[in-house]
Amino acid sequence: MKEREIVVGHRLGLHARAAAKLVQLSSQFQCSIVLFRTDAARAPNPTEADARSILSILLLSAGYGSKLAVRADGVDEEEAVNRICEYLTG
Amino acid sequence: MAEERIIHGVVASVGTAIGKAIRTFDALFVSLNFKLRPDQVRKEVERFRASVEKSREQLKRMQAELKRKSGPESSFLIDAHLLVLQDRLFVDRIIEKIESDYINAEWAIQQVSDDLFQAYDRLNDEYLRERRGDLDDIVRRLLHNLQSKALPSFKKLSYDSILVGKVVLPSTLFELRSQRLVGLATETGSPLSHTAIMARSLEIPAIMGAPELAEVASGDLLIVDGERGVVICSPSDETLAAYKGRDRDGKKGKRKASAAVSSPSITEDQVQISLAANINFSEEVLSAVAHGCESIGLYRTEFDFFREGKQPDEESLVADYSLVLKAAKGAPVTFRTIDVGIDQRTWDGMNPNLGVRGLRFCLENTDVFKKQLRSLYRASVSGPTRILLPFVSTLDDLDAARHILEEVRGELDLRRQPYDPNIPIGVMIETPAAAQTCDLMASLVDFFCLGTNDLIQYYLVIDRSDQSVVHLYNPFHPAILRCLHQVYTLLRPTGKPITVCGEMAADPPSAAVLLGLGFTSLSVSLTAYPRIKRMIQAVSIGQLRELAGQILKMQKPKEVEQKVRATVYRT
Repeated sequence: MKEREIVVGHRLGLHARAAAKLVQLSSQFQCSIVLFRTDAARAPNPTEADARSILSILLLSAGYGSKLAVRADGVDEEEAVNRICEYLTG
Repeated sequence: MAEERIIHGVVASVGTAIGKAIRTFDALFVSLNFKLRPDQVRKEVERFRASVEKSREQLKRMQAELKRKSGPESSFLIDAHLLVLQDRLFVDRIIEKIESDYINAEWAIQQVSDDLFQAYDRLNDEYLRERRGDLDDIVRRLLHNLQSKALPSFKKLSYDSILVGKVVLPSTLFELRSQRLVGLATETGSPLSHTAIMARSLEIPAIMGAPELAEVASGDLLIVDGERGVVICSPSDETLAAYKGRDRDGKKGKRKASAAVSSPSITEDQVQISLAANINFSEEVLSAVAHGCESIGLYRTEFDFFREGKQPDEESLVADYSLVLKAAKGAPVTFRTIDVGIDQRTWDGMNPNLGVRGLRFCLENTDVFKKQLRSLYRASVSGPTRILLPFVSTLDDLDAARHILEEVRGELDLRRQPYDPNIPIGVMIETPAAAQTCDLMASLVDFFCLGTNDLIQYYLVIDRSDQSVVHLYNPFHPAILRCLHQVYTLLRPTGKPITVCGEMAADPPSAAVLLGLGFTSLSVSLTAYPRIKRMIQAVSIGQLRELAGQILKMQKPKEVEQKVRATVYRT
């Protein structure tokens, strides 16, 4: 298992287009990938999202500057975390 | 007990109905939720998966088209939709629901999407909250695709149901027609919509354009008052008693009226007017004959044709049409060939009224068209048959259609199947192009039918389903009067008969204008039949001619309408 914390760098946060790209990116890996909001004590919805579920990502409501942990578990976890964090901070 | 509330709308079909509301989930779907037997679960899951698959194919096609037209940038929106279709939070949960709760796919979709909608609504981010629209879109698509597989059945309606929804499609109303469905009330729509036409032909009282209906829940007691144009929600005992009393009187009045209609349609000054019936589906023919109709002026075939979401084969069409002709007992039946594109389920957001409609559809789908024509010819041995081509806009289209008719006759000759070789062929005048050129078509056809609904829509540039412009739709507009006068003048020397079959013929004042302009043949829905017959019997053609001369010189629709009403209702 591999985990890393990042700050969302997309100007609009994880909105429709970014979320769609994230799902497409995550789908290239075999490992399980989960995102956690680490800053959202007041978040209205579950603070955990499957990186392959666009609905759960959108409902995470991770705007610009929100803090996320990316956790991957599986054979390609290393590369998955690297690539996804790179994408999210970009 | 909830308090009585009066919701205002527009009358789309007259009559009064008392019953329980049954809400449609959305435009495309009647929310008929039901429990499954354990042995039905597997099939239901398959049905759901098929609808997901079908939705995916549609979206892919749409995306390919978008990419072609506007590059990859805009197609990402569809990516989001496609991703929802493979989202386990959505798809897997729906399947789980079906499997664990033994509920139908529609119900499961509703439950899962309702949860998600609520989650969206809790978001603080306005932009993200708006994304519920994407989910809504997918849900509609799935429901739509489920529906064409298994249509809701009236057997699941309780007695005295009143269908309530934002929009109800004519096909839905048609599919649900039964003794159990007593009324219709929609938040949007207008009396000019095809759903309204359908409601009138089914003699179901209907109120449309009543946004406050959004508050009505399934199971609420409703009174649909198609005289006052209101829906009364949770009526008090007094109101209910008053309406129940009126209901009985209304039924008595109806019986009296049908006794009057068996008398001939001759004006006060002894001019014979031909009054035919517009029919939407085969069951209505018997009723038309009982009304004493001399002929079926317009039999709309598309509803029968696309019933059950699949296309009928030739044999079943022949059987259907033969049944209609036999039921008509020798009265000629004018079959209008398939006119799709109107109020049909379209997803692409384009205006189907300006697209592939009527004959255009038939010429693009010659297999379907030929099948229907073969069936009509074969059925013609059962009674006098007439074929009417809708939405003709050029002589080229007419030529192409006539060529196909010839081919069809040739095929039947080869098969040695009997048919009436002299079936009269007619053309609908419902586009401005046809109105301007009808005299050029006259030598190629046997009769004409004037469809005022579309003609007015195209002449005045008013989308009949658009609430914001529908008040501008006016048969008394000088442009319409001039157009009708022109059509009459162009066709008169040709001697080809012409029947007016739109809503304009079904409302006494505007129908009187038609008589004044010279038209002597009208075809109206069975609901309108008695009132139009009464109007004919009460007017004098001499007087109406004079009226027509006067209104043709007037400038504004309102002046015309006032003048006409004053004349017609004075007599």
